[in-house]
Amino acid sequence: MHVGLRSYILKRLVYSFVLVILIIMLNFAIFKMMPGDPIQFLTRPFQGKISPEEIQAQQDLLRQIWGFGDPFHIQLVKYLRNLLTWNFGISIVGKTPIAELMARRIPYTLLLLGSATALSIVFGVLLGVAVIQRRGTIWDSGAVTSSLVLGSLPTFWLGLVFLVVFFGFLQWFPNAGAFPRIWALGWPQALSSTSKSSPNTLSIAFSFDIGQAWTLVGGYLHHLFLPLLTLTIFSFGSWLLLTRATMLDTIAEDYIVTARAKGLTERSVLYRHALKNASLPLITSAALSFGFILSGAIITETVFTYPGLGGWIWESIQTLDYQVLMAVFYVISICVVVANIVADILYGIIDPRIKYG
Amino acid sequence: MIGVAKRPSKLAFTLGRFAGFLKLLFRNGKSLAGLTIIAIFCVLAVVPQWFTPFNNLGQDITERGFPLAGGSTAPVWLRYIPAWLGGKPTLSENMYVFQNPGYPKLRRDDGELNFTIDGSGIVINESDANYPYVQPRGFLKFAEPGSLNVTFSREEGILYNESRVIIFKEFDFPYLGVPSRFYGNIELLVKGTVDVKGELDAPVKVTVFLGPVGGRMWRLWPPPNNPIEDSRVPRGFTRDLVTGQPGPIVKPEYGALVWDNASYTWVDRGWITSVSTDISVIDSESNSVVNAKTDFGRPPNRPVPMVFTSVPGKYIYGVEMIFSDRKNSSKPVSTSVFIDDFGLILFGTSFGFMGTDHHGQDLFAQLIYGTRISIYLGVMVAVLSVTIGLAIGLTAGYMGRVVDELLMRFTDILLMLPGLPLLVVLVAVLGATIDNLIILLGLLGWMGFARMVRSQVLSIKERPFVEAAKAVGAGRFHIIVSHVVPSVMPLIYISLAMAVPGAVTAEAALSWLGFYDPFRMSWGRMLNAFFEANATTNWWWVVPPGACIAALAAAFVLLGYALDEVLNPKLRQRR
Repeated sequence: MHVGLRSYILKRLVYSFVLVILIIMLNFAIFKMMPGDPIQFLTRPFQGKISPEEIQAQQDLLRQIWGFGDPFHIQLVKYLRNLLTWNFGISIVGKTPIAELMARRIPYTLLLLGSATALSIVFGVLLGVAVIQRRGTIWDSGAVTSSLVLGSLPTFWLGLVFLVVFFGFLQWFPNAGAFPRIWALGWPQALSSTSKSSPNTLSIAFSFDIGQAWTLVGGYLHHLFLPLLTLTIFSFGSWLLLTRATMLDTIAEDYIVTARAKGLTERSVLYRHALKNASLPLITSAALSFGFILSGAIITETVFTYPGLGGWIWESIQTLDYQVLMAVFYVISICVVVANIVADILYGIIDPRIKYG
Repeated sequence: MIGVAKRPSKLAFTLGRFAGFLKLLFRNGKSLAGLTIIAIFCVLAVVPQWFTPFNNLGQDITERGFPLAGGSTAPVWLRYIPAWLGGKPTLSENMYVFQNPGYPKLRRDDGELNFTIDGSGIVINESDANYPYVQPRGFLKFAEPGSLNVTFSREEGILYNESRVIIFKEFDFPYLGVPSRFYGNIELLVKGTVDVKGELDAPVKVTVFLGPVGGRMWRLWPPPNNPIEDSRVPRGFTRDLVTGQPGPIVKPEYGALVWDNASYTWVDRGWITSVSTDISVIDSESNSVVNAKTDFGRPPNRPVPMVFTSVPGKYIYGVEMIFSDRKNSSKPVSTSVFIDDFGLILFGTSFGFMGTDHHGQDLFAQLIYGTRISIYLGVMVAVLSVTIGLAIGLTAGYMGRVVDELLMRFTDILLMLPGLPLLVVLVAVLGATIDNLIILLGLLGWMGFARMVRSQVLSIKERPFVEAAKAVGAGRFHIIVSHVVPSVMPLIYISLAMAVPGAVTAEAALSWLGFYDPFRMSWGRMLNAFFEANATTNWWWVVPPGACIAALAAAFVLLGYALDEVLNPKLRQRR
């Protein structure tokens, strides 16, 4: 049994490694697909903005990083090495290594998408169970229809409508950024430390200001609210539908009849017996959707000008910074692959019935 | 013989089955709702010109690029809704002040212009003179030969010093709010006797003005020597005299003051001193025409004079001509001024069913024409992806072994790639034409369907009737086409319906991100413009396109669900 699991995991890992290589190949193909000479294509946005010498320097740098002009196989190897070592080159616009810029933006995307995914799973699953309790009633069909409709709404439109209502008319929430703009002048100091050193002692005093801490948290939450609301409304419906579908299958099982016959309350039948058994597909798709965290927010982050990876993609399109685009795409793909491995392994561990094949 | 006898019965059988299927489909409430919505959108997509007189970008068909109204205006019907219900009674509408600017006529001659004369020697006549130059924008629909001729003349031996004539129209401005822009026009031609230097014996000073009756008149023409410094020139951007509120939002890109074809060298602060030689060679490029085509935009960041007030009232738009006769009394003198295309358009702060975008283009027309791209793209992508999915699913399922393994792993990889980021990168590199979008969306959308087909084929392959066909000696291709494909037909129908919503929303998302075909209007592009214009309170701009996207997507989802119920008897019994 254990041997089976181990070889199963090993198999998935090998498969995923092949996948990563294939994704890099795809990236390489996109690079090659650029019309004309990639060097010219990548430096086109600077024509007329910086001096010809600087453009020449940029081109030389690109040639050195990506190996354009080398024979094909060497180019490919250089490309592979660069992506595997997170050497994506230097952002044309930010004039900073892309990996560094990316590290600055990833936390915001994780915050937004992580909380949105978690919230929509919680809401979706709870509502799904509640709907099952009232199956066949108007609540049931209403919930199914509204999840279908909400899921087919374009996210960016939902975001724009929220902007019109909550920013345009009511002015309750800000329309851009991840924190109040005024913080750029001085950040709230929740945790501060002062150190005094005398000849033979060093005393450090920490102070924690709860008011400042609340300001900090409140500022972030205030800016997080609208994008979070948009994403949650958009995605909780699919969780509701999934929960409802799996629960429908589960409550037809014999052990549910037994549980009812024992005289358990409907509540404990649903949550302790049915939901537990129906949770397998829920857990795996949760793992998958956490993998898509980095990719899911291009639209929402753009609508609310949130400084995450998705917003960066849009900015890079505007400035024709294709190196950034491809680096972000690569990182997102890797994330998805990792999530797939995790989901597969989770599935293998949780469900002992699975055949490791 | 048998074949001939069989064929009609088989056809009848197929038709009968299809009729039964349609009957079930139409009895289903979901499919009926879905089909109705789809039918409505199809009509809009096929004959948009029945619903709007404008082109796909919301421009006048004869005058592309000329705004239909001010920028970011509201729908007209908002005027008639009381303020406490969210309406805006202070909106104004477009107003063409002159009925016939192409042929200005005095009221005396059944026209619309009044005149006052102060001084001697002035005669006003109609003229047949046809001005063959290009009509100014905004006045094309009034193109008509004919002009107004104002002539100053005297015999030799006297000097009249100064004679003054004003030709004007008094009009009612009935709205409770100011207009968003105004667009005035006048074209002048001057003829007359000249002295040895070639200058007019009686030069004429021309001033075009606009203002409230009894109030201060604002000079619109001649242009100031320095348009930025001369604060007496109103710039179309209007401010409310009573409330002090600025007029409606006018974007700074309309701020440029356009003095088309006005020649400054020989017009000194409105004094016209030289003469045209021949009417027939006049065009807007020649010096002999003062074509003060004025499009008064708003200069940013400076206070602007006020022309209109929020109190409905009478206004005057007119032209004043002062003939100066001081030079030479020893010969007969005459100067004629021909006036043509004398008009004024007041752009309102409301327009049409849905208002306008920031370029003054009709949003309703954009919405109607946007249907076309969404339906076309949605259907094409569905057909393309279902075709690819069918081919791959059938091949993988029927061939089995290595082919199956390879194709399915390939499918898995494509399923795993994050869709929108990949699409964004590819469209950014390849260009955002509609064909590219269809191909990319089709190539990235077949995987789920291929998997379904494969599993279906795997189960059908083992059925006795396939074995029987094999035993009879049927070839692979024959078995696939006449035994396997019919059994996946329901799946094809359902997937065709279900593939459309994703494609429609993906197109909208890409257009919204800025990847749109500049010659086509789409719902996503409308929302992109909304986002760019930053018109955060114009809900009439943002709600309809999104609602249309959602309605179209939901219609196909409903149809797909209905097909699922009709074609899968198991589901039908459960309901």
